Amino acid sequence: MSKAPAPAPASVSAPALRLTGDFHHAGRPLFTGLDLAIADRGWTCLLGPSGVGKSTVLRLLAGLDTGGTFDGDISASDGAPVATRIAFMAQSDLLAPWLDVVGNVTLGARLRGEAPDLVRARALIERVGLAGHVDKRPASLSGGMRQRVALARVLMEDRPIVLLDEPFAALDARTRAEMQELAFEVLEGRTVLLVTHDPAEAVRLGHHLFILSEDGLTRVDVPASPPIRAVDAPETMEMQARLFHALRGRPA
Amino acid sequence: MTANLDTTASLNVEAAAPVDPAELRKARRERVDRTARWLLPVVVMVATIALWQWYVDAFKVPHYILPGPDRVVQALIADWSMLWPALLITIAITLGALVIATIGGVGLAVLFAQSKWVEMSFFPYAVILQVTPVIVIAPLIFIYVPSKIAGLLICAWIVAFFPILSNTTLGLNSADHNLRNLFQLYGATRWQTLRYLRLPAALPYFLGGLKIAGGLSLIGAIVAEFVAGTGGLGSGLAFKILEASYRLNIPRMFAAILLISVTGIIIFASLSVLSHLLLRHWHESAIKRDS
Repeated sequence: MSKAPAPAPASVSAPALRLTGDFHHAGRPLFTGLDLAIADRGWTCLLGPSGVGKSTVLRLLAGLDTGGTFDGDISASDGAPVATRIAFMAQSDLLAPWLDVVGNVTLGARLRGEAPDLVRARALIERVGLAGHVDKRPASLSGGMRQRVALARVLMEDRPIVLLDEPFAALDARTRAEMQELAFEVLEGRTVLLVTHDPAEAVRLGHHLFILSEDGLTRVDVPASPPIRAVDAPETMEMQARLFHALRGRPA
Repeated sequence: MTANLDTTASLNVEAAAPVDPAELRKARRERVDRTARWLLPVVVMVATIALWQWYVDAFKVPHYILPGPDRVVQALIADWSMLWPALLITIAITLGALVIATIGGVGLAVLFAQSKWVEMSFFPYAVILQVTPVIVIAPLIFIYVPSKIAGLLICAWIVAFFPILSNTTLGLNSADHNLRNLFQLYGATRWQTLRYLRLPAALPYFLGGLKIAGGLSLIGAIVAEFVAGTGGLGSGLAFKILEASYRLNIPRMFAAILLISVTGIIIFASLSVLSHLLLRHWHESAIKRDS
């Protein structure tokens, strides 16, 4: 697949984020005294088992309904509101099945009542390696290709903050590795929060790494080498093993 | 699903030059299936008609009790000048009712989708209209509504609108939850969410309801004509059936029933084609897959 020239980096500078507070769901606390600092212009990975509130953190940042009560504060380092500057990618591709690839990529523009920039949309679709598929519908694309479309849409939106909710979890191992590399490359310069339950993914991609468990949030030091890290480097594998044990409740 | 696409491509290649005996067998089986799909119903129909003709001839059944297929066809040809205009009237009432049922059903569903309170308040009454047999409401309608055409339309509408309302309501509420979140993230207005998310998501459900409503509006139109029961200019096929039964003209009854059935089949087939055309690119129900 030929690579188109890289798109312009996020047009607005990407801020650091901070989320502090308690969250209660159905009268029971999901987390209390949380203090999550997300560094600017880099990947922060939030690793944890299911059901500890990882997705809730994302939904709070995005300003979506959470079905519980949040008592705390969400702020950006530049003081501007957070929820309006966010692009989002989830495990399910979130594509409208009745729209073709271009239609899905330009959905945001259409909802804002703007004329979609089709030239840019096509360039971005080419950038994620889907040049020959612009007028296909999601049903005739593979899972990996659909996530590429979702990634192209994130790039089209060109937001400084990108929230990723296990976007590669449903892909096969090879496609997952390819998508991780592609996403890391094209999202450079943005503030990215990746929620995942896969230690290997967290080690591979994170500039910063946190484990969220029933006991709360723990910062974990990442290997000295910058991401994206080689899967088979000794320090990566060693780190991955430590995270795996930490996830199972042993010290990291 | 990439594999799927690849299979389609390779199938096309192999269809051009079949080499593998397994592929050959598969292609032959598909050919047989395709032929059987239309041949078997035709064989059953021909056999039934032949049996019917034989029975009538062999037992010398009087034609005012059971006419043979030959007499039905004769009646169809001889009375065509009377049956055709009546059929047109029935079709007009049916399609008119279907259009109003579509507008009314979708309109009410959209209204229900705007507010749970509206849905809670009015849905039970839609159910009441649906479960009360139209044949007992129709006489009242013909008393209160001065125009016969309007009365017929109202009766057929009452029968036909419910499946559209019920299916479209279900469809509007079935839009993917995650996609709704995405729309919220994009700051979509209520109207945009309806226009770009909930209505497209409801389309397959609506089309399912429409297929049912097509048949029901024909039934509603016929039942209403039976109840209205007045002849003269502008009477539909149902009245021709009533009239023929008074005169013991059984072949003409059969001919008229045949026309109604064929009309129903054409309506169903057209709506199925419409549904396929609208959904074939994206909806699970209409996408062709191998394996």
